[in-house]
Amino acid sequence: MTTNLSDYVSSREAVLDRVRRMLRDTMKLRIEPEAIDPDVPLFGTGLGMDSVDAVELVVQLDAVFGLTLAGSPWVSAKLRTVNTIVDAILELGNET
Amino acid sequence: MRLEDEYRSLRHGAALSRMDHVGLVRVSGDDATEAVDAICSGDLWVRDGRMLQTLILGEPGQPVADVYVCPDDDACVLMFEGITTEELSACLAEYADPELAIELEDLRPAYELISVNGPYAWEALSKWLTPDVIGLPYLSFYHFDRGTCFRAGKTGEYGYDLAVRSGYVERAWEELLELVGALGGGEASLETLDLCALENGFFSVRHASVEGLTPLELQLQWRVSARKRFPGAAAIEERRAKGMERRLTHFVAREGVESGDPIRDADGPVGQVTAAAFSPGIGGVAGMALLDLSVAHPGIDAFFVTGPNVERPIRTVSSPLLFNRSLLVDPHRHTYATRDETSDPPLWLGSLP
Repeated sequence: MTTNLSDYVSSREAVLDRVRRMLRDTMKLRIEPEAIDPDVPLFGTGLGMDSVDAVELVVQLDAVFGLTLAGSPWVSAKLRTVNTIVDAILELGNET
Repeated sequence: MRLEDEYRSLRHGAALSRMDHVGLVRVSGDDATEAVDAICSGDLWVRDGRMLQTLILGEPGQPVADVYVCPDDDACVLMFEGITTEELSACLAEYADPELAIELEDLRPAYELISVNGPYAWEALSKWLTPDVIGLPYLSFYHFDRGTCFRAGKTGEYGYDLAVRSGYVERAWEELLELVGALGGGEASLETLDLCALENGFFSVRHASVEGLTPLELQLQWRVSARKRFPGAAAIEERRAKGMERRLTHFVAREGVESGDPIRDADGPVGQVTAAAFSPGIGGVAGMALLDLSVAHPGIDAFFVTGPNVERPIRTVSSPLLFNRSLLVDPHRHTYATRDETSDPPLWLGSLP
């Protein structure tokens, strides 16, 4: 694995771990963070979040990661799976 | 219709499909829920009128059936693919307590399944059934005089599976075909449904390439109970204790990638393609690959699919791959006739490697 790839994977896994823990705490899930698959759907199936959970999630993402989604266009594209949240957080890091 | 036309119908209007590959049974009796719980991998915490998506696993922990469990009064309706009704019956006989009072009825002779999918599927259904169908929550169902309407789907768009009495199904098909035709749609084949499911990251138990994989590698842990015993539970525990080595990850490519192709990076092999198909929405290949866990992440451009005298780059991406039009359509405010897609973002927000 090249250094660049290794660095990318390390930073991605670090953010993934933090998002998993945040989701577990927000949703009060009684499972280990590793049991939350990166591509698990957040709403409907998967974690089964609802609109109330979505509001709490948006607040938490802002508070923990500085990711401001409220009022942003195409917010629904960023809140589909754990991985799409991680993508949005990493994009935020690239922009700053 | 050509696949591209079917795809456009489904992704932008509404499309009608026959669901001959899906089984439908009713398990009734005082112990129906307990019996179904014994064979499914997920916890059956679901109310009457709602649907739960779960799995039936083989003893090696591999999914053999993709199942919707639908509690309905004192019974459970199961809508499933991957196994036959006879195999489901044998599974109940093997794993459910023989003392349980249950009766299994195959609903397929009496009912046929058709589905309507698309960002405006609700518009066709609201005219065919009742405007109330707009308020039917995802993963719920209700009975009408000639069948049952299940709000489900595996395409990322609004989806309705209809169990229609066989004597009425051809008339229903013609009526619905006319309605989806007015929405720019038509019939969509199983191939188109499978492509849309692939783009949106839905698991398909009919892919031969999932053989030997458990819900851990397939990213389906949410369908596996941590509190109960079920067929395959021991294998899951064993795999978990041993540690997962590979994980299913989505990717895109420009062209020339097929299921079974090996994937490598500059240092050597890292995985294998499990499913791939050309996606009109992406303008390239949408696929899934089983990658070494250490690199099973989206956003990586370092991999190649290798073949004789050729190396094709792939890019790993997050699922779902598309920004489905259904996310932008509100049945209470929009109609197909007054739609304006000019300000919509593209279906695919990414780029190809």
